Amino acid sequence: MDLSELERDNTGRCRLSSPVPPVCLKEPCVLGVDEAGRGPVLGPMVYAICYCPLSRLEDLEALKVADSKTLSESERDRLFAKMEEDKDFVGWALDVLSPNLISTSMLGRVKYNLNALSHDTATGLVQFALDQGVNVAQVFVDTVGLPETYQERLQQRFPGIEVTVKAKADALYPVVSAASICAKVARDRAVKNWKFVEKLPDLDTDYGSGYPNDPKTKAWLRKHVDPVFGFPQFVRFSWRTAQSILESEAEDVMWEDSETGNQEGPGKIKSYFSESPQSCPRLPHRYFQERGLKSATVL
Amino acid sequence: MENSYEESIDKRRVHLRPDTLRDPAPVSLHLLPCEVPVNRPTPVGCFFTPAIRLGPDGLEASFRGRSLRGEEVVVPPGFVGYVMTEEKAEMLVGKQSDHEREQQELVEPPEALERDFDRFMGATASFSSFTVWGLESIPGPDAKLRGALSWPSLAAAIHAQVPED
Amino acid sequence: MARGADGGDGARVWQHVFLLPEYLKDASKKTKSGLVFVKLANPCSGEGAIYLFNMCLPQLFEIKVFKEKNRSWFINESVQSGGLLHFATPMDPLFLLLHYLIKADKEGKFQPLDQVVMDDMFPDCILLLKLPELEKLLRHVTEEKEIDKKKYYKYSKEKTLKWLEKKVNQTMAALKTNKVNVSARVQSTAFFSGGQVSSDKEEDYVRYAHGLISDYIPKQLSDDLSKYLKLPEPPASVRNPPSKKAKLSDEPVQAKEDYTKFNSKDFKTVKKNSKMTAAQKALAKVDKSGMKSIDSFFGAKHVKKK
Repeated sequence: MDLSELERDNTGRCRLSSPVPPVCLKEPCVLGVDEAGRGPVLGPMVYAICYCPLSRLEDLEALKVADSKTLSESERDRLFAKMEEDKDFVGWALDVLSPNLISTSMLGRVKYNLNALSHDTATGLVQFALDQGVNVAQVFVDTVGLPETYQERLQQRFPGIEVTVKAKADALYPVVSAASICAKVARDRAVKNWKFVEKLPDLDTDYGSGYPNDPKTKAWLRKHVDPVFGFPQFVRFSWRTAQSILESEAEDVMWEDSETGNQEGPGKIKSYFSESPQSCPRLPHRYFQERGLKSATVL
Repeated sequence: MENSYEESIDKRRVHLRPDTLRDPAPVSLHLLPCEVPVNRPTPVGCFFTPAIRLGPDGLEASFRGRSLRGEEVVVPPGFVGYVMTEEKAEMLVGKQSDHEREQQELVEPPEALERDFDRFMGATASFSSFTVWGLESIPGPDAKLRGALSWPSLAAAIHAQVPED
Repeated sequence: MARGADGGDGARVWQHVFLLPEYLKDASKKTKSGLVFVKLANPCSGEGAIYLFNMCLPQLFEIKVFKEKNRSWFINESVQSGGLLHFATPMDPLFLLLHYLIKADKEGKFQPLDQVVMDDMFPDCILLLKLPELEKLLRHVTEEKEIDKKKYYKYSKEKTLKWLEKKVNQTMAALKTNKVNVSARVQSTAFFSGGQVSSDKEEDYVRYAHGLISDYIPKQLSDDLSKYLKLPEPPASVRNPPSKKAKLSDEPVQAKEDYTKFNSKDFKTVKKNSKMTAAQKALAKVDKSGMKSIDSFFGAKHVKKK
């Protein structure tokens, strides 16, 4: 797995994929979708698909793939290596969503929540397989949110494919287990080799699991909070844990869409008078108002 | 009492040291689309500038987990941008004696323009362009700032001497 | 200029971001001082505002500040709240002098300039007297007498209106070349690049230029200028939000002045008698059907007065 593209720029999203095994272009395939790193406050979230011909599903099972959460890191690495060896019939693709992308999406003017981001990413990967010519017949997805609505949406999006969305799909279907291994391996490597975009002099990489309830992670967050910038982009600013540390340890930054009482309207006009209450009986001409200009009264 | 205090402040002149305008160092300047309610040193070069990317529709960066889109704007023709700060009392002591020494060789201004209760400012840096950032979208030609930057050319027309009859 | 009051350690200094004319650099070649910010009476509001003198030339500059909500600066390795951007642009000192000349005119006599330009609130107004070619400038707005080689001045509204009209004309020309959207109809989108311009009416330009010039003169004079330019009453939506003093002046237009004729209901006479100026011609070309007539404008005023 070559993550060098991600290392070059980890501020957005990055897609990696194996070559498509020629057999997958012809024979009907089964495709699994899973993610890794949805919960942590640190690092990227990775979505992965893994696919093989229905006829070779037994060979995939023979690899003894299992839910990545039940495997150790070295077991996952070993299984991923085996899948790479079986590249004549197993294909995979993944999307690495940087923590910065997650933060800016979730904190956007128009909020883009994690479920929507997840659904769109999963959909994008299935479409990517189709675009590459993979003959997808069945799709198995580990659910995010309610399985029924998610299944309905995917089924509508891909009418020619048999879609199954289930909780714990990663434990039930080997092809989803395989996808979960791809995702987890990518997430672990991305975190381990994370190139901080910031030039931080005494950076401590002992950040624990990255889960908000990990004391090591919490301690790391508190240590690396900056009163103006908040955190490095490695941190998902949109997480409650991160937000509450910012609220107590960092400056209160106001945006035009920040939720406060008197924003626009009367307050805006009043500001022209703020310097001295009995001041100018006339507002500046429209030319100046439209350009945010007024006569300077303090220096 | 308060009024007379206010008045005395109004009567203080703020002198801008002309020599500081000559060759101040260039400055890296970013106008952000948010209010950070403090004035102090902060590691911009660690956190902010290294993460600026050139995207398909301009500069991209983020601040506090929010997406910024930016563009370079140049100062109006014939103008120079300066960052100025007020000289604090301690600095003043040293600077003024220097200043008096040098002034003997220079043309004395017609009358004592500077009084001891006045304030003094100097340019610390200069710029000919800066980066303006919008929240999630490029400020673009409709931004108030862009309009403001066209003020000097209109001001020139308003304040030009009118032709004699 | 109260901001200097807060002390604080050097590290947390307030940083001002300024745009200055390039040639101010040359001031440093002549003297070690001579650039000075002072507070003077803003001729529109009468309130204090900051101006800059370059005593080397000497020259006067107006200081405008760009200010938007929710802005701040990163200045090298520091953050500066507010995100203010100051503009220092050359200013016609006559606007500031006019404020004092009009005030002094209450006494109704010719006075030397140094007796006119005096201010307890803004004593630095005396720096205005150091500006070059004042005599030439003052000719635009005053009658003058010379006794024993000393000049005495008296405010002339007639000359001032003529001068202001020239100001309006040169401002109009700049609005066109700068492609400023002066249209009364589109207010929300402030800046159109080109295209829009052709559809703007001449009257819109006159009104817009008059509005800009009005930011530099007292309200009464702005109203008089509006009449002088024969500007029809603007549609309510275009006017700047009304102020406490928005109702037209309590005082009738001075009887001794020539401009009483503009109070006359006979618009045609006025047109015949006076040579039309560029701005007036521009207005004359405008199709006034559907606009409030000049007559009803002045008529309404008469009603209000009584």
